[in-house]
Amino acid sequence: MSVLLAQGVEVTAGEAWTFWLLAPIAVIGALGMVLARNAVHSALWLVLTMLALGVFYVVQSAPFLGLVQVVVYTGAIMMLFLFVLMLVGRDAADSLIETLRGQRAAAVLVGGGLAALLATGTYRWLEGTPAAGLAEANAEHGGNTEGLANLLFSRWVLGFELTGALLIVAALGALMLTHIVREPGERLSQPEQMRARFAPGNYPAPKPGPGVFATSSSNTTPAKLPDGTASPRSISPILPIRELTAAEAADKETER
Amino acid sequence: MTTDFQLPAIDYQAISPLLILFGVACLGVLVEAFVPRPARRRVQLGMALVGVLAALGAVVLLAGTNVVTAGGSVTVDGPALFMQGALLAFGVVALLLIGERRVEPGGAFVAQPAITVGSEADQRQASAPGATEVFPLAMFSLGGMALFIAASDLLTMFIALELLSLPLYLMCALARRHRLISQEAAVKYFLLGAYASGFFLFGVVLAYGYAGSVDLAAIHAAVDTSQMNPALLYAALALIVMGLLFKTAAAPFHVWAPDVYQGAPTPITAFMAACTKVAAFGALLRVTYVAFERLAWDWLPVIGVIAVLTMLVGAVLAVTQTDLKRLLAYSSIANAGFVLVGVLAVGRTGASSAMFYLVAYGFAVLGAFAVISLVRDREGETTHLSRWAGLGRRSPLVAGVFTVVMLALAGIPLTGGFTAKFAVFSAALEVGEGWLVIAGVVSSVIIAFPYLRVVVMMWLSEPSESTATMVAPGLLTGTALGIGALAVVGLGVVPGPVLDLAHDAALFLR
Amino acid sequence: MLSQAPTLADFGHDTWWVIIIKVLAAFVFGVVMTLLGVWFERRMIGWMQVRPGPNRAGPFGLLQTLADGLKMAFKEDLRPRGSDRLVFLIAPCISAVCALTALAVIPFGPIVSIFGERTPLQVTDVPVAVLVLLAVSALSVYGVVLGGWASGSPYPLLGGLRASAQMISYEVTMGLAVVTVFMLAGSMSTSEIVAAQASNPELSIGGATLAVPGWYVLLLLPTFVIFAISAVGETNRLPFDLPEAESELVAGFMTEYSSLKFALFMLSEYIHMVVASAVITTLFLAGWRAPWPVSVWDGANQGWWPLLWFMGKVVLVMFVFVWLRATLPRLRYDQFMRLGWKVLIPLALGWVLVLGGTRVAQVSDLSRSEQLWLGGAVAAVLLLAVLFWPARRQPSRPSPAEQVAARPPGSFPLPPLDLQVPPSPQARRAVAAKRTAASGRSEAEPAVKRPLEGRAGTDPEGGEQDG
Repeated sequence: MSVLLAQGVEVTAGEAWTFWLLAPIAVIGALGMVLARNAVHSALWLVLTMLALGVFYVVQSAPFLGLVQVVVYTGAIMMLFLFVLMLVGRDAADSLIETLRGQRAAAVLVGGGLAALLATGTYRWLEGTPAAGLAEANAEHGGNTEGLANLLFSRWVLGFELTGALLIVAALGALMLTHIVREPGERLSQPEQMRARFAPGNYPAPKPGPGVFATSSSNTTPAKLPDGTASPRSISPILPIRELTAAEAADKETER
Repeated sequence: MTTDFQLPAIDYQAISPLLILFGVACLGVLVEAFVPRPARRRVQLGMALVGVLAALGAVVLLAGTNVVTAGGSVTVDGPALFMQGALLAFGVVALLLIGERRVEPGGAFVAQPAITVGSEADQRQASAPGATEVFPLAMFSLGGMALFIAASDLLTMFIALELLSLPLYLMCALARRHRLISQEAAVKYFLLGAYASGFFLFGVVLAYGYAGSVDLAAIHAAVDTSQMNPALLYAALALIVMGLLFKTAAAPFHVWAPDVYQGAPTPITAFMAACTKVAAFGALLRVTYVAFERLAWDWLPVIGVIAVLTMLVGAVLAVTQTDLKRLLAYSSIANAGFVLVGVLAVGRTGASSAMFYLVAYGFAVLGAFAVISLVRDREGETTHLSRWAGLGRRSPLVAGVFTVVMLALAGIPLTGGFTAKFAVFSAALEVGEGWLVIAGVVSSVIIAFPYLRVVVMMWLSEPSESTATMVAPGLLTGTALGIGALAVVGLGVVPGPVLDLAHDAALFLR
Repeated sequence: MLSQAPTLADFGHDTWWVIIIKVLAAFVFGVVMTLLGVWFERRMIGWMQVRPGPNRAGPFGLLQTLADGLKMAFKEDLRPRGSDRLVFLIAPCISAVCALTALAVIPFGPIVSIFGERTPLQVTDVPVAVLVLLAVSALSVYGVVLGGWASGSPYPLLGGLRASAQMISYEVTMGLAVVTVFMLAGSMSTSEIVAAQASNPELSIGGATLAVPGWYVLLLLPTFVIFAISAVGETNRLPFDLPEAESELVAGFMTEYSSLKFALFMLSEYIHMVVASAVITTLFLAGWRAPWPVSVWDGANQGWWPLLWFMGKVVLVMFVFVWLRATLPRLRYDQFMRLGWKVLIPLALGWVLVLGGTRVAQVSDLSRSEQLWLGGAVAAVLLLAVLFWPARRQPSRPSPAEQVAARPPGSFPLPPLDLQVPPSPQARRAVAAKRTAASGRSEAEPAVKRPLEGRAGTDPEGGEQDG
């Protein structure tokens, strides 16, 4: 709490400690997310980074943002990611074959270069800039949450509404790309399946297995019924019924 | 409970075009939910057309307005209204193409995009009526574009960018024929677009760090007053412009364009080529002219190099293309370069010439894609150049329209293309950017070659067995074609009124 | 009286040993409540099922859970070969840690004095404490999901999948439901929500003013119902225990777990139940505030007494949890999802809208009669909509006899529907034997055949069944 209340230009020791403890963790999480071979591990590293970021927000007097980050990003969005990853399969590691030659080296070089440029750049450009803190902004409307609400519904009301439009588009798109309309009757409901099972012409009981009268272990050989006739139900309809040769059908002297 | 809450003053009339577009889009979603399937397409098309026309009417009524409203999120000024008007006019034509179902049974869109490509169910839906969700998606996209042009702060601009892009990504995946290519195009567009948005957002953050605000006007003011290191602002500018140039398909951020143009359903390609370009350049103009004008001497050389690169890459690669949709994609890249020349002539003339160019190019490209949607064989559209040989003899009328459009794109006098190029180059000369003009003229000459080659092939080759057939255009495509051809010729013969309008409108409100 | 109620400003001033005591107390509370909770549940279910339940270890079997826990610790710790080593280990820890963390923002009582230090009976409070609860409950599902995934076998994976889908669905409902609480309390801090329920809003009906109890269970009954249902969903308890549905998935996500890791999962499950009860108590049952007949006494809300009321309420809510488990069968997965997305979320959204509209009408300049008119108009529209909503016509079900009569010839044989059981074959045989002895011919045969008659003839393989 002392951290929460500590605002203003001074960066308190607690805030600094929290930052230096969590910043490496956040960076490690980000690196792990990129480097992990297993998609689920990748997602977990990202969760770690997001949690660290959430704590940063809280420490920087934006508790609402920090917790919403945890609830929405780690709670819902990453959970959706995990859901999809788990559906895809647990061993879905990425193929490591480069489709473009030298692409990985180039990506490391260019990406790393850009990251280094931006990181050192922002550090140098912002070095020595006094921290403004959120104390004043938070006090204006009696709290962080209230202040945020005030901004959202006054200055940014149009953007707020349009984010809703964006979500409609996203929902519509997800529906279009995943939902298949089933024509009525295309897929049988459970009662319909049951009715069909017991309808005349269908045989609802288990199909006869080869049983003790089997003459061969091949699954193309139909089972013999007790009266000696072959039961075509005992074999899959896609297999041709195998005619036994005279030699196979002959008495093998084992019946006695 | 705090009671000091004040709703911002919102000039509802000034943002009425936006409200109409988004309102119709939301209604369209409800139509999808509640109107029976057979009636949907008619209802959707009617609603969308009425909505866009109403929005266009609202824009016309607003002419001369100069106001910042909705809490400072939206600027309604001359350029915004001019480009919104152009956008909505293109939107009408694109909607006509999207709504067409005569040319191909069921329309250009697949009935159920979720069905696996090539499966039994996919074959069953081969001629089923296409998905009607495209209409609300197109409306959302149009709304996003209209806002993109008028956004007066970077955050609203970002939301608008997402709002115009997301439906586009989706619509790219909906082609009826060659669905795998279409889906591939959508994924490519989506991934690269997401990166571009990321760059834009990074830039916004840095700009906020510099100016303490995301308002374009505040950034403009902060250029003089801020105590921060100006390098921060340069980085912000670079990243923001990168994000915007991606949408305009300027080199080296153009690589997505050919694949996406080829894979997307042709009406959507037309929509993208015409409308997205207007929106992206509208935003680029606003960002560079309103927020970063005082840095013009810093960004002029860099964007100038990009413009030259864009023109040359587009022109040279267009020469090597054998597929018409890819050819038009490279042509759109080259044209982005020409518009950039106009943007670089910072000032009223530059803005007005760029805006005029966008209008001329948009109508021409809409006409071109309308014709492409008509040339077909059993497999669907045939876009390979060799299949177009001798088309002029078979269906002279439509081939004639295509010829006019091609000539316009090539910049032959008496077409809109010529006037537009002339306007852009003279604006650049006026501010002393001669090197851009030289590069522009050279690449105009280069890119005229592929256009004229198509024309020559159509008229001077004998039709053979491999020549595709030209389907008679339905009412909708016919209207679209007519509007495109008339506009192209009209802008070439009597460009005066539109040029004057553009000139009058070309003053940004800060 | 209200001076005893802590506000946000009262937190964050404790000395270090008070903090340690409070943290330890919350931890011990969680663990002890688990031990007692398991016992309580088993005894209660036993009572409802008219059997004694555990009654051997200790008085009333109180030490049964302890014995079980000890036994669990000495069991072999198995790890399946296909499992993901690290994640398999972390998963139960995440579950337990998250469950315990939630106790930090639960207000157990007012400001009390511990060895002379005056401090609120709550580990800490933040302006967004309820969001902390939501965040922690969102994170704790990671334990379940990852445990299911890391086990590397199908049933746990299915359990984990279900858990993740369930969490996403019910977290939304929960969040929407608590919005109404925020609207009324004007705060997201748990201690202030409890304080807000102390006031008795006055309702004027026809001139007579009436002080209504401020408990949100009364003021926000729909919220309470929605929240309680989704809380059961969030805690994975029957009838929503789909991630571990033992009749479908063996033991769901914890199928492969044994020994202490399993114990951790059990621990977190029961702490979850305790936390959910405590949250419901805090948000809707006025937390530690004394209930009505007791609250007449001035000292009821002072000192350590409120801890008693709080515990009483928590145990009451826990009893309902147990009661639900003993009463209701498990929902099918699709029914569960439908309930969440198609019933609870629209309901929660609509309720937020209604409450928001009411609040706006209250603070607006409308006169009393105008407000009434407005409310009446809305109510009338709703009533008309409900009355004239196109009802789906239920096709009248034919009686079993009609259904049987409608069956086409050749249908599968039916057993007698009137439950007139044919005489036992043994009895028949005895009769037949007598008859044969008497006349040399059995007459019982046709009577047995009758119910089977229908299928002869049309079924090409009828002979097979007859043998």
